[in-house]
Amino acid sequence: MASVPLVLPSPAFRRELARRGGATASRCYQCATCSAVCELAPSDAPFPRRQMLSAQWGLAENLAADPAVWLCHQCNDCSLRCPRDARPGDVLQAVRSVLVERLAFPAFLGRFVARAATTAPLLLLLPVLFWAALLAATSHLTFPSTLTAFEEVVPHALIYAVFFPVAAWVVLASWVSGRRLWALWGAATPRSGSFWQSLLPVAAEIAGHKRFRSCHAAHPRFTGHLLLFWGFVGAAVTSGLLIVGIYVQGLAMPLALSHPYKILGNLSAVLLVVGGVLLVAGRLSGSNGPGTSTAFDTYFLTVVSLVILTGVLSEVGRLFLSPAFAVSLYIVHLGVVLNLFLTLPYSKFAHLFYRSLAMVHQRMAAPPDAAAPPAGRDRLQET
Amino acid sequence: MNPQAAQPLLVVGAGIAGVTAAVEAAEAGRDVVLVERDSAVGGRVLRNHKYFPKLCPPSCGMEINTRRLERSPRVRVLTRCVVTKATKATKATKATKATPATTATSAPATAHGPGAGGGWQVTLTHLPAYVTEACTACGACSEVCPAKVPDPFNLGMSQVPAVRLPFPNAWPRRFVLDRAACPPGCKACVDACPAGAIDLDAVEREETVEVGAVVAATGWSPYPLEKLPELGGGVLPDVISNVQMERLAAPSGPTGGKILRPSDGRPPARVAFVQCAGSRDVNHLPYCSAVCCLASLKQVLYLREQLPETKVDVYYIDRRSPGRNEEMLTRVASLDGVRLIKGKVGKVERDGGGALALRVEDVESGRLLTASADLVVLATGMVPALAQDPLPFAFERDEDGFGRDRIESALVVAGVARRAEDVAASVRDATGAAAKALVAGRRD
Repeated sequence: MASVPLVLPSPAFRRELARRGGATASRCYQCATCSAVCELAPSDAPFPRRQMLSAQWGLAENLAADPAVWLCHQCNDCSLRCPRDARPGDVLQAVRSVLVERLAFPAFLGRFVARAATTAPLLLLLPVLFWAALLAATSHLTFPSTLTAFEEVVPHALIYAVFFPVAAWVVLASWVSGRRLWALWGAATPRSGSFWQSLLPVAAEIAGHKRFRSCHAAHPRFTGHLLLFWGFVGAAVTSGLLIVGIYVQGLAMPLALSHPYKILGNLSAVLLVVGGVLLVAGRLSGSNGPGTSTAFDTYFLTVVSLVILTGVLSEVGRLFLSPAFAVSLYIVHLGVVLNLFLTLPYSKFAHLFYRSLAMVHQRMAAPPDAAAPPAGRDRLQET
Repeated sequence: MNPQAAQPLLVVGAGIAGVTAAVEAAEAGRDVVLVERDSAVGGRVLRNHKYFPKLCPPSCGMEINTRRLERSPRVRVLTRCVVTKATKATKATKATKATPATTATSAPATAHGPGAGGGWQVTLTHLPAYVTEACTACGACSEVCPAKVPDPFNLGMSQVPAVRLPFPNAWPRRFVLDRAACPPGCKACVDACPAGAIDLDAVEREETVEVGAVVAATGWSPYPLEKLPELGGGVLPDVISNVQMERLAAPSGPTGGKILRPSDGRPPARVAFVQCAGSRDVNHLPYCSAVCCLASLKQVLYLREQLPETKVDVYYIDRRSPGRNEEMLTRVASLDGVRLIKGKVGKVERDGGGALALRVEDVESGRLLTASADLVVLATGMVPALAQDPLPFAFERDEDGFGRDRIESALVVAGVARRAEDVAASVRDATGAAAKALVAGRRD
């Protein structure tokens, strides 16, 4: 006798989704308008209609094992056209938010960041206090009357002593969570081919925001997101170059404004500022397109904004304002950057990692003769 | 019998529901004033090629009803006539009588004063009678008329002379003149009319009637195609509505009953039906119009009869074929070359070679399809006329714009004015409405 498939709905998961802005899933009547209007849905495994069904039933395992949850870019083209106002775009964002928490390693940090709506003050304050305390403990907490470089107050060695281990920790935590997700996807769909060979075209797609570009409703967010992305890339590259500059080339800080590293750093700052302003302004004016913001989104955007704001202001402060002001801001800046690092695997920032991974999985899971996703829609076979 | 019970009933709208309510009330012994905005009775049903599920032409049903109208001296039929004003007749007698608690809570009707059950004083406006009762429908005027207008009976899909018989078998059998379309100074039809039935200077005229109760049978209009541009509505010529399909299939239609693509006049080799186009959709009509599933199945049978080689796909969310209509669904679903595919179409776009491409997820296979079609029929729903115009009686409406009875104010709704439904249900509803209206006048 054939076995009857067992479906295990989870009311707890449904409640969890509802708490994070996915309550509208219950309105869905499975018409599939969402999948039909989605520009990113691959023809052999369209989304988000099926994911809405899983969300509605509380089938957490299905959603965890489904890379489509991450292939969704939250354009909300689906939400605009949904005849029941079930907002699939928001529901999938809520699913991602739950998954980020459930995949978190260690779990308590995931829970802590997931409750940002209440824990945000602590999350924001603790790293700043940590820096203040560390500087005080190492007798570096001073506010000089003249300031040419921040190194006069905060030695680079101290910064690297904190951020190298933190970065290593972030990589480890992300790796553990990513492994879990990768295994879940792999169990559901076999993969073939090389990870690294698939990563390259994915990186190219991300560099140009190829998929994001094809979203209609999210178009107002496109430029801001692209600038922010490249701003972060630029800032990361600058940080790497500075390590080389300080320890290999023996460059003296601060670098002249005309130094290539400085130019790259300041250019990145401009991208970050413009991108951040575009996104925040769009959010505040409601012109970012459809979609509801939850604590998951707001907390992340706040941290990113604070990183940019304190970073730029401390440089401006050092150049043009009082040294004490600049140093204070710099300490806050170190704190929020530490926050950004530490919460990366548990906040919305994790989408960078999980979505990229999902895109790699999508390529490796596609049959070898299939056209590159998400192109190539099926033609209905004539009977 | 109280005097108001002797007052006539007013029935607004002479479609299948209004005519039914009128003749039923008249045959029960009540005088009826039947008011119709158009120049002939029949309303929407006459625009259908056939009824489902029996696939008989609607003219049969209407013929019986017009014969009943003709035979009924109690019905006064006023075409080209609209209700412009209405006031509740105040009656000194029984004015202080307490309203029963149940009615007081169920409807805020007391706004109309204490004369619960009292009649209405109604002002009717007769639209200018450019063509008078002397018309013999000989057609001499149409032959000389130089002006052409889009034919409202064919939903604008063909051109007709400004003066014409509104549609074959129109009753009353009298021509109609679209005065706004007349070229300045033109008198061609006046000169041509052997009966002297054309009066280009006719004016509006008002009339006041006292009625005991009112039946609103104001029916519906099709949901506008232009509101569905993502499905090609109003954008792509070969995307038509279900009501247009009825006209294409009808012998009295713009193509003489041949189903042809509007863009090139060729018979379509592949036709796609998009169900729930702008229905059950919070962005459009939130409700189900109850007839579109069966209407599309019926239209599949038109295609089958006329173009047996044509492939047909019907894309649906749910297949709603209650009662005996189930048989029709089974029959259509089993036809070769006909597929019923679960999935709402998200987009209709131009494809190469003059065809149309439909984006849809086939829910059963879980695959995203780009399907090709030569002609796309959008199964659009019904918008109640009361939604836009509650009439001067201020009919109470539900959240979708459908009317509600207010028996204590002698206001009754009938047919699609009450809810979206098919012709048979509308007729049954109208019969019930007649009974309610007869009683409403006798309440106190």
